[in-house]
Amino acid sequence: MYLDLWGLVGGLVHWLMVDVIGTILNWLHIYALAEWLGSPGVLNIVTILVVALIILIVGMLVSITLIWQERKMLGRFMDRVGTQVGPFGLFQNFADAFKVLVKEYIVPNAADRLIYPLAPILIIGVSMAMFVTIPYSQGFYMSNSSLSLILTLALFGVIPFAVLLGGWASNNKYTLIGGMRAAAQTCAYEVPMLLSVASVVVLTGSMSLMEIVTYQQENLWLIIPLIIGFFVFLISMISEIERVPFDLPEAEAELVEGWGTEYGGMRFGLIMMSEYARAFVGSSLIALLFLGGWDGLLPEFIPAGLWFLLKVLLVFTIFIWARAALPRVRTDQILNICWKRLLPLAAINLFIAVFFKSMGWF
Amino acid sequence: MADKQQTRKEKELGLSGFILRPMYITMKQFIKACVNRPQTVLYPWEKLVLPDAFRGRPGLIFDKCIGCGICMRICPNRCIDLVEVDDLKKNEGEPVKKVKRPRVNVGRCMMCGYCAEYCPTDAMIVTPDYELATYTREEAIFDPYKLQHEWKPGYEVHIEEVLPSEVGKKTTPSRRIEHKDIPEVEDKKCIGCSRCAKDCPVDAVKMVEVGVNEKGRPIKRPVFDSEKCVSCETCLEVCPKDALIMKEVL
Repeated sequence: MYLDLWGLVGGLVHWLMVDVIGTILNWLHIYALAEWLGSPGVLNIVTILVVALIILIVGMLVSITLIWQERKMLGRFMDRVGTQVGPFGLFQNFADAFKVLVKEYIVPNAADRLIYPLAPILIIGVSMAMFVTIPYSQGFYMSNSSLSLILTLALFGVIPFAVLLGGWASNNKYTLIGGMRAAAQTCAYEVPMLLSVASVVVLTGSMSLMEIVTYQQENLWLIIPLIIGFFVFLISMISEIERVPFDLPEAEAELVEGWGTEYGGMRFGLIMMSEYARAFVGSSLIALLFLGGWDGLLPEFIPAGLWFLLKVLLVFTIFIWARAALPRVRTDQILNICWKRLLPLAAINLFIAVFFKSMGWF
Repeated sequence: MADKQQTRKEKELGLSGFILRPMYITMKQFIKACVNRPQTVLYPWEKLVLPDAFRGRPGLIFDKCIGCGICMRICPNRCIDLVEVDDLKKNEGEPVKKVKRPRVNVGRCMMCGYCAEYCPTDAMIVTPDYELATYTREEAIFDPYKLQHEWKPGYEVHIEEVLPSEVGKKTTPSRRIEHKDIPEVEDKKCIGCSRCAKDCPVDAVKMVEVGVNEKGRPIKRPVFDSEKCVSCETCLEVCPKDALIMKEVL
């Protein structure tokens, strides 16, 4: 059971543009406009815009839910209550967003006038653009490209560039060090991440997230043959989205707020939000690649999208657990972990995948 | 010793020490906080259960108080003073009497309970009130009427002590009021003005004629009733010639 988003929105748009507005325009004898509105090109564009809007809103809402989940669960990990506003503290994030929204926008004197406002736009835009490739179920997706996996990882690759720009443009020692660390760390951790993704691609023979999930539905979840790759991907993803224990770019104890120190008001809020958007994309990638996506029990009764979101929340729970338990790694340790531990493990994982594929077992 | 440290270090570091054990401990804590409830007390709606010996602001039992001012003198923060107020006891037909009662600046009070401990009649008590925030500083000054509080068995402070001279003699400790200091007169300084007798809160001072002076007028000297005296030192304060000293019980 799943929601066919494109069919639903397409039907709704067709009904609105042709049956309602078109009839009114025909009644008013404006036949040319009615015909133009009913033409397939216009209908397509409006449908695409509406679907994109829905996907953006759903992604933002899921990201906000992740923030809520983190605050609530971290509270329980620390034996306190967590957010309190609204039912179960659900409205706390909206209250915080409103608070940062009404704050003043301050540009530091020493900041670069051109790049300082541009960097958060780049970060936020790229983070939100990642929602495009994530399919929630067979029907609930924005794009069904055959290279959607590569596109997502490429968008992840833009982030260190934007972060470095933001850190440099703020013209502050903390932001600069934070930006440098973020760039070094995210660039380094992309290598084991891509290697473990390569093993998935080797087994499934596709770079489309939809087809990877279809493969897992037909055969088995890839976490079983590629358990090493799962852990490598998980750790690399935690590093990639700059979360504890790999939160060196915004180590509160050393660098005030890392590369985002100078950003205040809604810029700060949106940068924070975009971090959770990336966390959502990261956990959904793990769910899609290794945990079978929307594959679940009782597909007739429980919607596929719900299974997918459940797995995303589960993966994010692991992130929160790691944040509650683990200390931050040192600057010299972080690259050691990457090159000396994760990279060999990812290579072994790739060998295993090639072995399984060449033996024809999967 | 060196071997011990080595093994301990190996145990604490590495995969199990840095990753697995913290993960296990936090998950245990998480499950505990989910099954039971977290430690947090949501203060305005929930309140902690106070211990029996909790000392909040001082309270006053108006009718027990004799207005001796010991609390005023013993207060370490000097937040108590005596004010004259109308007595609550009214006899019909008589005008309302003015009595001295303590007034406490609760904003400065540190809740030590000395006033209750030293009060000779147990009129000062410690109450479990601790929510004392006010909008102005004037509101934090509790006049004798506002200071009144309901009496309950645990509110009195009884601290029992042994005199230094009786240490080691197996005497049972007793309250301070039972072995009290008594004022003494220096005969040369006293002018017989009898202000001590007027101001004594318990009427323990009597002026006695001890002789006649050169002009033929009676010479008066105070005599202190050790049963009635509460050793409040009011007489010492009012004496215009500093003729009184406290004779300490040791």
